[in-house]
Amino acid sequence: MASKALISLSILLLIHSCYSAHEHSLLTPTTTSLPLDVTIETLVSVVLLCFGIVLSNREELKPISWTVWSGVLEREKGCGQFGYLDERVGFLEIRAKRAEFAKWIKGAGEGSSSQKT
Amino acid sequence: MNPEEKDLQINPVVPENVIHNTKTIADIRSLTSSIFGIAAGILGLESYSGFIFYLLGSSIVSVLMVIFIAGGKPQNYFRGTSEIWTLEVFSGSSLSSFILTWTLFFGLLRA
Repeated sequence: MASKALISLSILLLIHSCYSAHEHSLLTPTTTSLPLDVTIETLVSVVLLCFGIVLSNREELKPISWTVWSGVLEREKGCGQFGYLDERVGFLEIRAKRAEFAKWIKGAGEGSSSQKT
Repeated sequence: MNPEEKDLQINPVVPENVIHNTKTIADIRSLTSSIFGIAAGILGLESYSGFIFYLLGSSIVSVLMVIFIAGGKPQNYFRGTSEIWTLEVFSGSSLSSFILTWTLFFGLLRA
């Protein structure tokens, strides 16, 4: 929130200094340099804008080390890199699965043979 | 197995986060460099002084990023220690967007 206010303020300053520089170039001969107050305003607005942009991206980076990142995931989501290991089914009915697989592979074999004939 | 590979196996890195961090830094760099271009155009800088202004501004942004974004520890967020200082300063779109806005504002205000 503070960074947004900072960005808006410094953009206003930048637009104002841009306008001042434009007026100055219209009203005076081209070779004269910019007045000191416009220069200072431009520099201040740019530095403030840098602060605003950097502060608005705060907390944006993520740690690249797995040891740190897994800890962050565990704390925030309650489930880290190996969370799926906790959620496996407790009991697998192996006979039913095997029968299902046999049916499926037989069906596939018949399908392919019927295509051949 | 060379020492670098061994170190990578002992301390594995998360590739998605490396990409995410690099993208964040590149975004900030391209935004700020076009703003430096606007300022250089307003100030009416020419030739070398404009590029020196860009270098100074980029190093200020780097210092701000190290302090505020990386919390003083860039090695936690990047593979190389110098990456946050040099990334996208001369490569990528930052320098060209600086020159684009610099020449645009110089032409608008001075010509």
